[in-house]
Amino acid sequence: MNLKSLIRHETFLALLLVAVLVVLSFQSDRFFTVSNLLNQGRLMTETGLIAIAMTFVIATGGIDLSVGSILGLVAILTGVFWHNVGMPLGLAAVAAIAVGTFAGFVNGLIITRFRVPPLIATLATLALYRGLAEGISQARSVRGYPDWFYVLGQGEVLGVPTQLWILVAAAIIASVILAYTRWGRTVYAIGSNEVASRFSGLSVEKTKLALYTASGFAAAVAAVIFVSRVSTTRSDMGTGIELDAITAVVLGGTSIFGGRGTILGTVIGLCLIQALKNGLSLAGVKGDGTIMLIGAVLILAILASNLFERSGTR
Amino acid sequence: MHKIVLSALLALSFSTSLSHAQSAWTGGDDLPTNPLACDATPATPVSKPYDGGEPTNAPDRKGKTLKVVDVPKLVGIGYFNATSKGIADAAKEMGTMDAKTDGPSKANIDDQITLIDNYITSGVDGILFAANDPVAIAPVLKKALAAGINVVGYDANSTPDARQWFVNQAEFNGIAKASIDSMAKEIGEDGAFAIVTSTFTTPNQARWISEMQAYQTKCHPNMKWLETVEAQEDNILSFNQANTLINKYGDDLKGIFGMTSVATPAAAEAVTQAGKCGKVAVVGLATPNAMKPYVNKDCVKSVVLWNPVDLGYAAAYVLRATADGDLKPGSTSVKAGKLGELSVINGSEILLGAPTVFTKDNINDFDF
Amino acid sequence: MAMSMDLPPTRPASMARRPGFLSRLFSEYGQEIVVLAAIVVLFIVVTMVNPRFISANNLTTIFAGNAYIAVAAIGMSMVIITGNIDVSVGALIGVLATISGTLAVAGYPVWVAWFFPVLVGMAIMGVQGVLVAYARIPSIVVTLGAMSILRGGLISVTGGTWISGLPSEFLLAQQRWFGVPSPIVMMVVLTVLAFLWMRYSAFGRSLYAVGGNPEAALATGIPIERRIVAVFVIHGAFAGLATILFATQLQVIQSTVPPNLELTVITASVIGGVSILGGSGTVIGSTLATILFAAIGSALIFVNVSAYWLRAVIGLLILATVLADMMRRRGKA
Repeated sequence: MNLKSLIRHETFLALLLVAVLVVLSFQSDRFFTVSNLLNQGRLMTETGLIAIAMTFVIATGGIDLSVGSILGLVAILTGVFWHNVGMPLGLAAVAAIAVGTFAGFVNGLIITRFRVPPLIATLATLALYRGLAEGISQARSVRGYPDWFYVLGQGEVLGVPTQLWILVAAAIIASVILAYTRWGRTVYAIGSNEVASRFSGLSVEKTKLALYTASGFAAAVAAVIFVSRVSTTRSDMGTGIELDAITAVVLGGTSIFGGRGTILGTVIGLCLIQALKNGLSLAGVKGDGTIMLIGAVLILAILASNLFERSGTR
Repeated sequence: MHKIVLSALLALSFSTSLSHAQSAWTGGDDLPTNPLACDATPATPVSKPYDGGEPTNAPDRKGKTLKVVDVPKLVGIGYFNATSKGIADAAKEMGTMDAKTDGPSKANIDDQITLIDNYITSGVDGILFAANDPVAIAPVLKKALAAGINVVGYDANSTPDARQWFVNQAEFNGIAKASIDSMAKEIGEDGAFAIVTSTFTTPNQARWISEMQAYQTKCHPNMKWLETVEAQEDNILSFNQANTLINKYGDDLKGIFGMTSVATPAAAEAVTQAGKCGKVAVVGLATPNAMKPYVNKDCVKSVVLWNPVDLGYAAAYVLRATADGDLKPGSTSVKAGKLGELSVINGSEILLGAPTVFTKDNINDFDF
Repeated sequence: MAMSMDLPPTRPASMARRPGFLSRLFSEYGQEIVVLAAIVVLFIVVTMVNPRFISANNLTTIFAGNAYIAVAAIGMSMVIITGNIDVSVGALIGVLATISGTLAVAGYPVWVAWFFPVLVGMAIMGVQGVLVAYARIPSIVVTLGAMSILRGGLISVTGGTWISGLPSEFLLAQQRWFGVPSPIVMMVVLTVLAFLWMRYSAFGRSLYAVGGNPEAALATGIPIERRIVAVFVIHGAFAGLATILFATQLQVIQSTVPPNLELTVITASVIGGVSILGGSGTVIGSTLATILFAAIGSALIFVNVSAYWLRAVIGLLILATVLADMMRRRGKA
């Protein structure tokens, strides 16, 4: 792992973020205000949590496409457990998160026990979990939650949106794990050279299993936050969020081939995308234009970063 | 061990395939229904107190140019192109409205909510919307109201307290009655039909299907519902699904309902290509341009719809009237440009009027 | 459970013998045979429940209605075999269909309306291939970005208006060639040609090397970068051909990106046996897998599976297929 090149990408990205913020704040005076920035933090939490977990997964050279479906499944289960099964709401949410975590665990099992490549495995579970969400919910929504539940998604704690605290906490914990613990080093080792890691006695299978479980857990927590934010459940929630998360992760410098990546990079990537989505809209660019620009930024950012790096990794 | 897991999976997949006799039509929701009378008795108008939301400290906008954003369910389908055109026409006619349409590229709630949130921050004066989900959109619309923005919905409602007014194209039970009556006229009182819808979670479609079931049970009890299939908002998928229905039931299938402006032309195309024009009736909502080939060839007799251009047009005028203070809680009607006076129903809804029926005689007069 | 290292069991050289034809066929084309067997079993079972499943019209619906997916999957399989992936193909087909319809309605000859989009597809994919091969940007990043650009661009340019009033000569997918619907003919011909080319031409075989063992490929003088660009260009051509089938089936062309098309195409390639690790699989497998999924979709309606559980059942079947394939591969060792 090339520490120098790593810092270079995150620095470049941070500079890009600053540049974007400056440009956008000139386009609209409502962009760079505390309340708007906090609001954007609120809106990016679900994608953010998933992207943080996805960083670990991609750093091992894997991928998890089923996170959106897990989100949808956990979302409707929250409603089903509370409304149809009759659990108290707190317990229902916890139970639903447990199911989502288990779904991630199943992903991990398929990948480690059955040796199915992660892309294929999570492609299959993407279909399965979404189907389960549709079937279990019978396309019904559950609404009418008690007011205290909405504090999570719509409320504030000490002036900052509630879920933003969760996102910040998750980011800090995750970066500590990835950068400073043996666990984190195992992740990089697996991504760089899985066979060598196995020969070195690292517990490759257990680590991978844990990562996919964590990915499921992140999607599950994001689901509960989302339900609280929109006050209803739908089986199509989370469709496409996996691509948003992956975009943030690769933008942040995590190599899709594994062995490289930081949580800081992912967070900066996340902020960059959110800033673009919001700032461009405030500047008068419509949804379609924003999508195009984000696609272009993704390609150009990685292109530029590759050009700076002489050690071109494929 | 692996073999056990594999067999368990296969067994599970086959066990879920046991079909249960459904008393409710697939695709309907489970909200209470209110079928109309079987004859031409009009519905008794429901007079309710105003139940819409109120903006907080809305500035006086009377006579000033309004900056308005229109956020439909999604962009890229003919129906919302038409409503967008109506809004643009009204804005031009008024001269005092600056309207732009910006919608998500997929019909999901997250993108729509984010868009509306951005426009709240950017300081628009008014928001027009067609909701992907009535409850999910409520928090962000309430936020708009709290920011002093006027909020008016059309086509797909939100919860009443999240917006000031909702322009309703037609009552759900009215659409159900018109559709079922049309179908009964074409296929007879004991014909069998199937439904092609977008997804089971789309609120309007789910309401229509429930109301259609209630009305059919009441007034045409010998007609038979066969099944409902999903086709998202995808042309080719709708076509393939309609074909599958035709193939599965053969001569037993006498009619297909298309529940979206994507499904109906696709179903008509399937019937045409299968050579069953005249043998399988197609009834549903669609824009005239998409249906011209089929209506002109007598494959489809009539397309029951309201005029989405008028719908957008009316919504823009309602927003103008609301911002000006001319339309307020307790009003019983509103003047909507060339559409004349529209009445207030259900507390905070504005009724567009009678549905437009596109037939061979008039379909070529429309271009949307 | 012991960790197997996937090494083949050793045998004294004197005992080595060439395995029989059938067992060689099965070991090389195992997944394709499994998928084909699944199709046959499915047809038999469902026809017993409802004989109309096997009627000419329904076969046309299943095969012709989904042929465009199979054609797109041919190109996608080639890309995956080289160890790359493309998530922009759905958006690309949406864009190409719009170009195609616009040309047709504007009065250009049908040949132009059909084949100009193929050239455009090749160009757009070629650019992506260059970024992947020469700028060393991972294919998922490039194609993710391209997907966004194409999707947004499509709505920007068309404003969401559909294209109607297509001239009837344009509607190629509705024609019949030698009595068979043209999409089926195109699907079969293109699959066979692509398969033969991949297997017997040096270029085709080099793609397997590029994906399976890039270092060895480089050592044997295969110009990897040029191959990758070439495979993306070919993929663009197949996307263009798929667009012809896609755009000419109905009387209107939607100006939105067909939802989930890229996932469907990737799933078809992968279930058909193309390995995401690169280096193995055939286009016959991806075509068969497309047919299998189309048949399953239709079959579930025919046997009255509750519509709410449709997607779950399909998901379970995908998972079962994937697991069975993995077990088969491990059992080979």
